[in-house]
Amino acid sequence: MEEGFNAYRQSLESEEQSIKSTQSVVEQAIAWFRAHSMFVLAYGTGCGAIEMPPTFTSRYDIERLGVVGVATPRQADILIVSGYCSPKTLKRVIRSYEQMSDPKYIIGLGSCTINGGMYWDSYNTIKKLDDFLPVDMYVNGCMPRPEALIEGFVKLQEKIRLNSSEAGYIKYRDNYAHYRANQERLFGAQVAPSYEENFAGMN
Amino acid sequence: MQNLMQHFEIIQKTPTLYALHVSIETLFNTLHHLRYQSDFITLSQLTCTDWIEEERFELGYMLTNLERNCNLMVKCFIGRDDVTVASVVTLFPQAEVMERELHEMFGVGFEGNDTLYDFALEDWQDLPPMRREFDTLAYVQSHYDFRDGRDDNLDVKEQIKIRKAAAKSAKEAQGGA
Amino acid sequence: MERKTITIFHGPQHPGITGNMSVELELTGETITKARTHVGYLHRGFEKLIERRTVIQAFTIVCRICVPEPDPNEANFALAVEQLAGIEVSEKATYIRVMVLEMARLAAQLLWMAGQSGSVGLGTVGQWSIYDRDLILDLFEALTGGRVYHMYIYPGGVRRELPEGFLERLGALLDYLQKRLVEYDRLFFDNASFQKRAIGVGVVKSEEALHLGYVGQVLRGCGLKRDVRRDNPYFNYAALEFDIPTQSGGDVFARALVRRAEMRESIKILRQVIAQMPTEGAIMQKLPKHRKFTLPKEDTYVAVESARGEFGYYMAGDGSEMIRRMQVKGPSLIHGFTLLESLLVGEELSNVALIMNSLGICPPEIER
Repeated sequence: MEEGFNAYRQSLESEEQSIKSTQSVVEQAIAWFRAHSMFVLAYGTGCGAIEMPPTFTSRYDIERLGVVGVATPRQADILIVSGYCSPKTLKRVIRSYEQMSDPKYIIGLGSCTINGGMYWDSYNTIKKLDDFLPVDMYVNGCMPRPEALIEGFVKLQEKIRLNSSEAGYIKYRDNYAHYRANQERLFGAQVAPSYEENFAGMN
Repeated sequence: MQNLMQHFEIIQKTPTLYALHVSIETLFNTLHHLRYQSDFITLSQLTCTDWIEEERFELGYMLTNLERNCNLMVKCFIGRDDVTVASVVTLFPQAEVMERELHEMFGVGFEGNDTLYDFALEDWQDLPPMRREFDTLAYVQSHYDFRDGRDDNLDVKEQIKIRKAAAKSAKEAQGGA
Repeated sequence: MERKTITIFHGPQHPGITGNMSVELELTGETITKARTHVGYLHRGFEKLIERRTVIQAFTIVCRICVPEPDPNEANFALAVEQLAGIEVSEKATYIRVMVLEMARLAAQLLWMAGQSGSVGLGTVGQWSIYDRDLILDLFEALTGGRVYHMYIYPGGVRRELPEGFLERLGALLDYLQKRLVEYDRLFFDNASFQKRAIGVGVVKSEEALHLGYVGQVLRGCGLKRDVRRDNPYFNYAALEFDIPTQSGGDVFARALVRRAEMRESIKILRQVIAQMPTEGAIMQKLPKHRKFTLPKEDTYVAVESARGEFGYYMAGDGSEMIRRMQVKGPSLIHGFTLLESLLVGEELSNVALIMNSLGICPPEIER
């Protein structure tokens, strides 16, 4: 039994083999393409946005992994919720997310998306992002280093390739009533129009 | 400055910071005088402090002079409930947004400012949040859910007592042996 | 022919916006007829949170008030608490503070350069300047342990001793940056595609600038020599030599040139700090214990010069260990509302991002 990096790689490969046996070649190819062309919506919702320029420019250069920033939600695959969300922002984040086309994934960046972080007693930030939106990957820290964000992207690629059926957008579609109820509870009468009719015609 | 000190009861707090207390009736006229008859032509900050035990707010108009090297704080005590202060937008246009903020955060009314709509909060139903009686932790607990396993704001005094007692008994046992 | 007016939101989800905020624009064709700023997307209620915390607990969250440039917040907080509690700071700690503040200014200017060049479509500048900013962040990491949030300038001094060889590393970085600044001139400031977009756009009137409370490069861009470091010196800026660059145009390009010269001034200050840094001396004063760290029933106002202008704190104590009230006055509050709303009228839609970047509007300090 080898140790360290090689052992980790071997365990990954064996796991990958067992999952690949359940996927057809076309499914494998599609998953590979998806994992290596992730377009990130340029929406800095909180302070984590300050570590995104270094990640996307020459020093950390996340474009190596096929991660590129785009301006409009209609072209984007990834929404990075970079930090605390006030209810006012969350409304816009939900709308942006619902405008993105499937497949789409969410990365929650920073401790405050996980459990409130520093702002645990603030009256104007939500404490649990996955009550309202399906989060695929959390990156903790305040603030997370660019390396941590890259690690999050690598893990997300793995998830897309190996467990594509567990993606957040499928969860959102299947459990829409749950997410919608949470959104309604927080926003009251000001909640955005329901998104449910858009699910019609999907598989 | 010397000239102003003859007119008003100005207190010097630091070499570059002065304070002046006025009543709510003379507030606007004092600011008007300072704006047009003195060097203090800029309003750089509008503060409000809640002295709940004295049942009053303290408004502070931070004026800065032409040379930008001296600040004068014109302060005024006002009641906490249903108070309206004359707006100073006509003297200082930048006061518009500052008054909007205080209106939202403290519930202070400003007469003559018709832009007192939402500033930072959207559809806020509760008390104005910066008032002392607004309890932010209680609001959080009633409006948001925490993830299980997060322990904040615990009373650790009991734990410290237990730990100290354990250390003491351990020391005694050691000393006895 | 009747012209139709449409209303659009520029932001919050928009690549040309400086942070999470939005501007509601009324347009006739491409021309803006009315602008209204909306903030609140980042409101966390800092001032409320600080009322619930002791001095030491509040210290950890103040740096998060302004994200691109957290150090002026720490400096202001330390200044205000020291003034209220009557704490003296050693000479060495003051020098380290000046060093941290100037490094933060340099980093913030490089970040601004990336945003400003991005708003005119010059992507290369951002690739370079964010890299160079990262080199400064590396030094911050060696000094404080944090890349972005440092939590370093503490009431009573600074939290850590300089690491071994730090000043030499800083000197080497300054040599490197000095060479880079020449290349930035060729790449960005002398670039015709930037100059054509920036000259004559977003002109601030100098006669009303002082009265309306503008600060920083907006003032210096229209020829008014105002700088808190010179007018109202804090720490030991009075003992350091530096110039306050000014320009007379008042437009986006003038503000860019002011920033360009300020980067050189920051390097000049940092070199003096390296030369004069005391080798001996404590970096931290003895402070009262956590629960006994009380502030008297007094209030004060302190201000430092951030990379975008005067950054002030009003602080009032009430005799207990909690701070009664701390109110932040960032440079963006007046710039983002009074100035931006008036500057945008008559401009074209494509200039909104350009003007916002040149004013350096940072929404987290507007709404806290």
